[in-house]
Amino acid sequence: MQPVNVVIAGVGGQGNVVASEILATALAACGYRVSVGETFGASQRGGSVMSHVRAARGETPGPLIPKGLVDIVVGFEPLETLRIIADYGRETTRVVVNPRPVYPLAVQAGEASYPDSRDLLETLGTLAAEVTVVEATELARRAGDVRAQNLAMVGALVGTGWLPIRPDAVVRILGERFADEMLRLNREAFRLGLEDVRQRV
Amino acid sequence: MSLHALGTDAPGQLVILSGNEAIARGALEAGLGYAASYPGSPSSEVLGSLGALARAGGFYAEWSTNEKVAMEGAAAASFAGVRAMTVMKADGLNVALDALTSLAYSGTKGGMVVVVSDDPGAHSSTKEEDTRYLVRACHLPLLEPATVEEAKEMTRWAFDLSEAVGLPVVLRSVTRISHARGSVTLGALRPAPRTARYDLNDRFITTSLFHQVLHQRIGQTRARFEQAPFNSCEGPAAAPRLVIAAGPSFTYAREAVRLLGLGEEVRVLKLGTTWPLPEDFLGAHLKGAREVLFLEEIEPFLETEVKSYWAQHAAELGPVTFLGKASGHVAGAGAPGVGELTPEIALRAVGALAGREFEPRSEAFARKVDRLPLHDLPPRALAFCPGCPHRASFWAIKAALELDGRQGVVLGDIGCYTLGAMQTGYFTLKTVHAMGSGVGLASGFGKLDLLGFTQPVVAVVGDSTFYHSVIPALVNARYNDAPVLVVVLDNSTTAMTGHQPHPGTGRHATGDLAPALPIEAIARGLGVPTEVQDPLRVDETVESVYRLLKTDGAKLLILRSPCVLLPSVKRLRRAAVDPARCIGEACGCGRFCNRAFSCPALVWDRALERARVDDVLCSGCGVCVDLCPRQAIAFQELASCSR
Amino acid sequence: MGRRGPSELQTQVLAADLCTACGACLGHCPYLKSLGERVAFIHPCPRSEGRCFDVCPRTSLDPESLDRQVLGAPRRHPILGGYDGLYFARARDADVGARGQYGGVTTALVLLALESGMAGAALLTSGTPTREPRAVVARGRDTVLAAAGTKYSACPTLEPLAGLLRESSEPVAVVGRPCQVAAARKVEAREASGRLAPVIGIFCFWALTPAFYRFLEGRRDLERATKLDLPKDGGMTFAVNGRTATVRLDEIRPFIRPACQACFDPTAEWADVSVGSTEHDAAWNTLVVRTARGRDLVERARAAGALEVKPYPLERIPVLEEAVQRKKLRVLDALDAGQPEVAYLGLREAQRAAVRAHGRA
Repeated sequence: MQPVNVVIAGVGGQGNVVASEILATALAACGYRVSVGETFGASQRGGSVMSHVRAARGETPGPLIPKGLVDIVVGFEPLETLRIIADYGRETTRVVVNPRPVYPLAVQAGEASYPDSRDLLETLGTLAAEVTVVEATELARRAGDVRAQNLAMVGALVGTGWLPIRPDAVVRILGERFADEMLRLNREAFRLGLEDVRQRV
Repeated sequence: MSLHALGTDAPGQLVILSGNEAIARGALEAGLGYAASYPGSPSSEVLGSLGALARAGGFYAEWSTNEKVAMEGAAAASFAGVRAMTVMKADGLNVALDALTSLAYSGTKGGMVVVVSDDPGAHSSTKEEDTRYLVRACHLPLLEPATVEEAKEMTRWAFDLSEAVGLPVVLRSVTRISHARGSVTLGALRPAPRTARYDLNDRFITTSLFHQVLHQRIGQTRARFEQAPFNSCEGPAAAPRLVIAAGPSFTYAREAVRLLGLGEEVRVLKLGTTWPLPEDFLGAHLKGAREVLFLEEIEPFLETEVKSYWAQHAAELGPVTFLGKASGHVAGAGAPGVGELTPEIALRAVGALAGREFEPRSEAFARKVDRLPLHDLPPRALAFCPGCPHRASFWAIKAALELDGRQGVVLGDIGCYTLGAMQTGYFTLKTVHAMGSGVGLASGFGKLDLLGFTQPVVAVVGDSTFYHSVIPALVNARYNDAPVLVVVLDNSTTAMTGHQPHPGTGRHATGDLAPALPIEAIARGLGVPTEVQDPLRVDETVESVYRLLKTDGAKLLILRSPCVLLPSVKRLRRAAVDPARCIGEACGCGRFCNRAFSCPALVWDRALERARVDDVLCSGCGVCVDLCPRQAIAFQELASCSR
Repeated sequence: MGRRGPSELQTQVLAADLCTACGACLGHCPYLKSLGERVAFIHPCPRSEGRCFDVCPRTSLDPESLDRQVLGAPRRHPILGGYDGLYFARARDADVGARGQYGGVTTALVLLALESGMAGAALLTSGTPTREPRAVVARGRDTVLAAAGTKYSACPTLEPLAGLLRESSEPVAVVGRPCQVAAARKVEAREASGRLAPVIGIFCFWALTPAFYRFLEGRRDLERATKLDLPKDGGMTFAVNGRTATVRLDEIRPFIRPACQACFDPTAEWADVSVGSTEHDAAWNTLVVRTARGRDLVERARAAGALEVKPYPLERIPVLEEAVQRKKLRVLDALDAGQPEVAYLGLREAQRAAVRAHGRA
């Protein structure tokens, strides 16, 4: 049986590693055997990063998703989302994306230009089967810290219903992972992301 | 959360662990007593996890000054009959190699496992080195896990093997194990011993007399490898097409066979014990093979070993076509043996074996992607974090050297500050080699004045690097009176690898307090004039560097400011551009803040046509406040901690 | 003039070691900085044209054009430049006289300019003669007095000028070396018409690099020297603890700033007034009054009892002219030989001939 393949794409420092951990744990709680392929270290310093989260019944899948087999892209940054879907996606790929750009150095230095945000989202729309745009940074700000953007995106993903993950499972997992203010913040960001997507349906 | 799972005594429980955590768990299930390591991606989290569990688990875990010392510490525990582990990245094995080659001769007692993590594709390294060649050169048993769960199993097994043959055993991991996560079934924990003792009848002396003993031990290892549970073969027994794979390449091979529908046509041989080769096992499965494809990382190590075995047994095995890196069949965008082996490379190579191709996307989708201007999308170069003191340090060093006017040379080293060789550090660093090489090179450049050299020499090193290997080079510079300026970028942590403590930070791996050994005390003790300066005060730093470049002999300047990612660093203020004072392009400054200084938090707002500070990214270091020629950037105080 | 900017400034002046550290290019943009009396681009500037090139006295100097701008007419004297009167002068105020190098004339004139409202602020060079001096913006007596006395190295005093001109509309007094006077006039022509009042030039035949100060640090016998001097009869003297120590000039020469060899203007020909040593009587200064504003300043100072003035001794004029002419002839020889370091000077053949011919009729 084919594994479920999810890529979390973003810029180093946006919290994709924590998000992939939460997601993988939530999928394991559904009875899947999971695998996560990460790159951390140098890429944290503003480079492009991606987490490959794979879940299968039966044998644990390999850590990397072969190109063209991605089912879901969770995009923390729109440019990276486009790169991932072009590289790894196919016509059935669904996308949930935070549209807030993080500018590469080359753009700031005036040596390259960042594509227009509307064009980016439109292009994503022509490639993906479905695109859900979530202002996760703003939701996280409401929760109390913009850095919780990653958890807002996890909430949004759960809210889409594309994966058989129950919100209360994630809330419990957060309780095992975090404490005090971090727990409150992450649970609140998760809830805001979840509600934001759910109330659109 | 994994930490909670990591220390749980719940055999049979299914958890998710990273490869590094799985290795740590395997050691705990083997009754680990002693662990020592120096941080190195992708291996750092092994000791990171063990350090957090050490106190509760009753065992010892330390961050050592460098990999050689770490290995020696582990060897000591082994000599005292305690199971010990040492962990490093590939480059770290280079540092510890003299100790390891010696241990191969002297032998060990308590199980000793050496965990080495290679980094195919060099995601977090300066080189992509295949350490299996070094392990072979040491004549030590080599294990390569293919999955996260296997990493745990192999680690535990490795301790038993080490005690059986009296040698350190090397577990060679790669990024896609160490930094991957996977489902793992926990085994039973075994408590750390309380019987550490050096038996005076034992001697662990390195002498060439033991070269022969070493070969005998390797022979015993080979015998055990024949029965090891980590080697297997799946697929139709009679199939003439055979894939030999080791490491995570095995999972790519298996997935490729499934996706290509080749389950009835291709056999996949998994090797987990890769040196010495389990020859009988290998020979049995090579029989009947007409085409053999090798999938491994990074270089054609196994490929060469197996071909050598085949050459020895060619008469019985008959002609075989070997496909791999030597034949060019297994290659990515670069040359064979360069870059990471990805599932796509595996799919192509396995597919070519049977004349099949794998294309999961529709033509329509592929055409849409082709039409995208992907080459025009801006690349994401690595950059110092907003507020990183290294940005300020390199800005100041560069300015000081321009003002000095003698074409000073700046030598680099390994750490976050290695980025000083790139745009984010204004291309300041001209050389980067091994840990401590910057000062070693500086010492050499400094003595070229005899031969007409007139350029000032600056070596930039980090605080952790200083303890690791700079001290001998600094002694050399002082002893030989080399006129070099060593600039220590002290951000109070080992940042690039994940903020591990070091001898200057005052903390142990367990989190307990430790004596802090200030860098200035060490340097002054050597008679090296030493100053300490805050790099965020850029003008003062420029003056200090400028002044020191005009003095004789070896001198040290510590630029001390904590890494902005440290939890103890609270953001109390941030910078903001006054849109009334910033007049955009009309200023004539050429977008100095974002183009020249280029902090990621300084953004050009295309709508406003002015500079703007990204309040999500800004850490409030304030350097840009001083740089703006119109004083258009000012501080805003924040309520503590909230953004 | 075609588009010229930072990259030409770099190749023609900074990289060619022709910079005199006048400071005019500084204080305007974040790319140009100064330390240790060296000027450098700390980061490459992307502009193809720039103020830095325009105000630098070493990118181009056109004596005829400056004569018209400052004096309103071609010069009458090929060696000493345009002038209205040549005097010996000294401050009447004992305090001022004591602080001054010789007669305290510069200090007295600056004080008068500020007190009379001719200027709102004065750009001066402050410090002790044995350490690197700093630019200072003076508005009051104490600051002016503290800046008295000769400094022997090339302080980029003009650095605060761009900021001063931008931030207010008050006139600014400038005291500078001849290169600084020429730069100030280029700034005036470009963006500050009527804002510089007065411009006082100090005679200068060469400046030393800060390596001189490091040399002094190595000389225990010169520790805590309070006054330095270059008296006419050779050597540099240091007043230490009531005694005078002398260092031979050839020990000092290695510290002469190389850029000074290309200088054609030791008497600050485009100042309102120029002030120097008499090389004859340490109690007095040489005072050259050049412009109408200069004349006005000196008359006010005399009327206020701040300045005493007497005619320049006729027999000493040839001595002064000879010293200045010698420096100009060296530059003319370099010009004739086509040496690039003097190519900035726009001197027509007629003027060159006039300089050569002077005193030989």
